[in-house]
Amino acid sequence: MPSVPDLIGAALRLDPNAFEAMVVRPDGARLALAILIAAGLSHALGQSVVLFAHRVRPGRFALSLAVAAVLFAASVAVWGAALELVGRFAVGGGPRLRDVLVVIGLAHAPRLLGLLTLTPYFGSGFGTVLTVWTLLASAVGAQTIFDFSLAEALVALGAAWLVSEAVGRTIGRPLMLLARNLTRWAEGQSSTVGGGAG
Amino acid sequence: MTSLPLPDLGALAVAALAAFLLAGLLAPFETLGWWAGWFGTADEVNDSSDAEVQSDESRPARSYLVFLSGIHTVAGRSFAVRERAFLERLHSELPETRVVEVFPYSVTNRALTGQRVFARFWRWALARKLGRRQLAGLAGMLINLRNGWQVAVSADRRYGPMYDAGSAELFHSALRQAGYPVAGGVPIVLVGYSGGGQIALGAAAPLSERTGARIDIVSIGGVMASPRTLHGLGRVVHLRGRNDRVARIGAAFFPGRWPLVRWSAWNRAMADGRIEVVDLGEMDHTGRDGYLDDETRTADGPSFMALTASAVARLAREAERR
Repeated sequence: MPSVPDLIGAALRLDPNAFEAMVVRPDGARLALAILIAAGLSHALGQSVVLFAHRVRPGRFALSLAVAAVLFAASVAVWGAALELVGRFAVGGGPRLRDVLVVIGLAHAPRLLGLLTLTPYFGSGFGTVLTVWTLLASAVGAQTIFDFSLAEALVALGAAWLVSEAVGRTIGRPLMLLARNLTRWAEGQSSTVGGGAG
Repeated sequence: MTSLPLPDLGALAVAALAAFLLAGLLAPFETLGWWAGWFGTADEVNDSSDAEVQSDESRPARSYLVFLSGIHTVAGRSFAVRERAFLERLHSELPETRVVEVFPYSVTNRALTGQRVFARFWRWALARKLGRRQLAGLAGMLINLRNGWQVAVSADRRYGPMYDAGSAELFHSALRQAGYPVAGGVPIVLVGYSGGGQIALGAAAPLSERTGARIDIVSIGGVMASPRTLHGLGRVVHLRGRNDRVARIGAAFFPGRWPLVRWSAWNRAMADGRIEVVDLGEMDHTGRDGYLDDETRTADGPSFMALTASAVARLAREAERR
């Protein structure tokens, strides 16, 4: 069984074997969650200029990062669940939800470098690279687990994103509102009542 | 006799890249922390003022000139010998102008040698560099790297507005110490050498808002992005030597400076004449044959430094007449 750094390194290199190894690991779910929380923290730190702009105090800053990391992991999980739905519709049957989630979790390994978006002047460019990198890793993961071609994997990921957006704006609206209020609470702002613009 | 193994060049390159990125990652935190109020109030921060004033206090000033050094400095008092001589020349050319020197690479106005955690390190680096001792080159490079990232912070669209607000507060405080009237209105010229050009260009709008004065800028081989706004900006004179590769690379580095990007603030200001690029002949960016070299002379006689100082003085006089 490859070590965790080897597994993450292989995922960063877009090696399909990494995703196959992740599925068969007994601790795959825990590892995927750990990667997502760490990636979420790094991503949130990369985007933390907003917190500074709002003049958030250090304690609230740390709390906001923690909340953002959990919400990041949750949003990726929703996307993974949507991908499982799309896959089931496309291939009829397909892998277990747990396997799809661990693969999508590992595919977010490039977001561990989200911190780099803090870099002055070059940060936005790093952000774009990480987005494309994560998308490609997710496509390789989807290819591996669903036996898709690259084009099919990209279409499935796009469809999964549409499903997750649709869910977020309809039956998932209360959860979206909860997430927004949680973020505002962590930052020390008053919560909103109602759904906002949606 | 056993010989020491040579370091792996690949590993060294990775370590250098990692150090470069780490310095970049840490660079915005001074500005962000200052903006968020994590380092105390502005008054507390300004107590450690590093600004220096060269002035004849007995006469009222007709204009104020703020000199922003290149990225090789660690504090206002560590200006290089050539910069000192240049400022003295400016002072003699502009007797009715008050010349203020500010260390522009810290919005909290903490000279690197006055910082709580790293002061000892920067003092070491400065001593190595000035004494031309072993590792002087590395020390100079580290100072340039640290301050160069601050130039990038000012040029960044996310951090720039905060950095520039901090710079404007710093300059205003230094100007007030030099006797700048509360009512404002007296012409202000920011002279930015190298990376100081970016700091000057960024601070122009918020400084104009604070003082009510239009801000003129002289860039001496400035490395600067297209400004985010032209608000409050008077004239910009960009002095450039033909052998100055640093300024040329700087212009290529920022897309807003490319002639193709006609809608950028820089190119709009070039088109309406607000930005003027002045060719200073065969000058280099720094050192011998640089803008501040008082030994190398032009074919007409004056030294490179004299020519640079005259160009700066010309804009200051024009600002006074307007």
